[in-house]
Amino acid sequence: MKLRRIAVAVMLAVAAALIVALTTGATTGPAHVHVLGSGTASAAKSVCGLGTGKKATGSPIKLGAIATKQPGTDFTDIPNTAAAYFNCVNANGGINGHRIQYFIQTEQTDPAQDAAAAKKLIQTDRVVGMVGSTSIIECSINHKYYEQLHVYEIAAGIAPECYGKGDTNIASVNMGPRYSSDGATQYVIRQGVDKIAFDQSNVPGTGYISAGPNAVAKAAKIPIQDFTDTVPLQDANSVALKLVQAAGQNGGVVLNFTPDQALLILQAAQKQGLVDRVKAWACSTPCNSDFVASALGSAWDGKLGVNAELNLPSAAGPDSTLYRQIASKIKLAFGLGSFSQMGFVQARIATAALLNMKPPYTLARVGQAFAGVRNFHTDILCSPWYFGKVNVHIPNNTDRTVTPSNGKMAVKEGCFKVSAADPDIAAARAVEKKNPQLNTGKPYPVK
Amino acid sequence: MWPSLVDFKPYIVTGLALGGVYALSGVGIVVLYRATGVLNLAFGAIGAMGALISWTLINHHPAFPEWASYLVCILFGGAVTFVYGLVFGPPLAGRDPLVKAVGTLGLTLILLGLMSYLWPPIGRTMTLPTSKPDFSYHLGFADVDITMTEIIGLAFGVVVTFGIAAFLRLTKLGTAMRALADDREITATLGVPVRRVEAAAWLGSGLLAGAAGLLLSDLVGLDPVNLTFLVISSLAAALIARLRSLVATLFAGLAVGLCTALLTPITAWPSEANYQFSLSSYRGGAPFVIAIVTLLFLARRRVVSVSRTDA
Repeated sequence: MKLRRIAVAVMLAVAAALIVALTTGATTGPAHVHVLGSGTASAAKSVCGLGTGKKATGSPIKLGAIATKQPGTDFTDIPNTAAAYFNCVNANGGINGHRIQYFIQTEQTDPAQDAAAAKKLIQTDRVVGMVGSTSIIECSINHKYYEQLHVYEIAAGIAPECYGKGDTNIASVNMGPRYSSDGATQYVIRQGVDKIAFDQSNVPGTGYISAGPNAVAKAAKIPIQDFTDTVPLQDANSVALKLVQAAGQNGGVVLNFTPDQALLILQAAQKQGLVDRVKAWACSTPCNSDFVASALGSAWDGKLGVNAELNLPSAAGPDSTLYRQIASKIKLAFGLGSFSQMGFVQARIATAALLNMKPPYTLARVGQAFAGVRNFHTDILCSPWYFGKVNVHIPNNTDRTVTPSNGKMAVKEGCFKVSAADPDIAAARAVEKKNPQLNTGKPYPVK
Repeated sequence: MWPSLVDFKPYIVTGLALGGVYALSGVGIVVLYRATGVLNLAFGAIGAMGALISWTLINHHPAFPEWASYLVCILFGGAVTFVYGLVFGPPLAGRDPLVKAVGTLGLTLILLGLMSYLWPPIGRTMTLPTSKPDFSYHLGFADVDITMTEIIGLAFGVVVTFGIAAFLRLTKLGTAMRALADDREITATLGVPVRRVEAAAWLGSGLLAGAAGLLLSDLVGLDPVNLTFLVISSLAAALIARLRSLVATLFAGLAVGLCTALLTPITAWPSEANYQFSLSSYRGGAPFVIAIVTLLFLARRRVVSVSRTDA
């Protein structure tokens, strides 16, 4: 009995510890989005939608998203930031009085789950457009379904179908892992490396992704060795050693992982004194996060080139300023960074498209509005974004290189064109040349 | 192409460090199994949650002493395991070992759910003071730096193994635990306070879970799911030792860590053209392969036995 009493006492102590943890910031409560983004839009100021400061009360316009959330891969910052922007739009007059109702589904790289999520969103929830999706396989699984039902999706893509390969209903605001890895590979080549070790998480589509960096390296006549590692990483020390050995003293290492997993490899390299054992380190866009910069500390300042598909989270432009205001209202898995920027940009484009169309907001009409977006300007992207009715959708094909600096990311290289040695990029440039209205001329109106 | 000996050397260091912690966890599992017949599948989850509590104290309570945060992790492991043992140990004492193991699986799922709720999967890092640059040393023979945490990981595993082995052999409580391992019923009839002895085993095993969780959160990363399922490597070590010998568990843990690490540089064999078919890309399966091969080998000699007699 005495032991039982001790057990009860210990249980109470553990419960008390949990309550302490609960009340000290370990938890995330529901996102509290305050009324912001109101006022008159100008060249120096961006607002949420109409910026009226009045809450929309009209019938909802339903939009949906599907995002991967599994151990080692969490993309929910993207739709969560899109949701925060839509909340801001709803607090500022909505879409001419109509509020945006946003549905987010998460998946674990399960094709059946992805297909079911799309069917639920479209057939049960009755969404009229997809915005904010980021999934390892969602585009591949659902693109035919979207085409059949004339559903259009503004995404942050990963799979080839997110960029128009075999599909014309999806366009992405980001470059995705392949083209961002192209940019990171270009960076290490510019550093004068004589060999490249390219490593990425072992998820579906690795062959498609590595084809890009391989094409870029081949064009530069530099040997490249491909690796994949299962995430979450259990032996980051060994992975870092492997990559440094493969690259060699004058080589470069290019990583394509989510921020937390890339961080493990970079920290392991630092702990083992491997940072200066190769000529250059680079990372695809997920590393463009202050979370990574601050966790790495000063040892990596200027030594890691991160391909940034989007502007620095701390940039001074009007959209960047609004993005920070909105993102600061929600709990982000990886802090301010490219993932949340992608969600913001997608939601902003979708909102502009909805404001530029007339009701009714049916699936077919909203799809046409999304497809009609062209020459959309934002200071978060290097070049104007477009959807358009074209068979290749890689509108984001010009980007920057950033690097850690005093716990933040700083620009290392200004906007540069991703290499057309990657045949996909070459195809996108050909489309742009043939359809100059996509990214030149009068900017797309943002009310 | 097969790597050279020089290429392998650094992996000996990383493998031994990780293997030391696998051994530490394995010893905690074996000690508990020997005394109570429970294969604690929640070992990793308990350590993971302890590490997350430490992380919270360090990052959200700057006034709280850092050393005390680490102590909380270890004590949390001890407390949760102790309570589980006291509440669920007696009712399950007479049940099949499989039932007892499934009970701890339930605890694992509860802890995973709690961690998912309390600590959403944002990027977190745990850097122990012993991993900071001041505690980094260059190992000339392997041409790689090693941190004090890695040294502790290996040394702690060795010290704990031999310390517990001595404890079991030389102390009254240890003798009682060994007696329980042989026959719970006879031990009870001899007047040994079975529940107290079992409670001590639960507490000791839990403290080891907390310590292992703390070390692994630095060595592997502070990811609750990852840390929870790292128990599989430790279980492999415990199985190789037939859930009996602590010293064998130590060497099995080191072997699992070493083999996993040493497979890493074999990136171009047997397939030079495709990394995904190389030995390196299959290293995650090394613990299971080692366990299966060892058990098959021992079975050939008819010495395999992982069962125990319960009252």
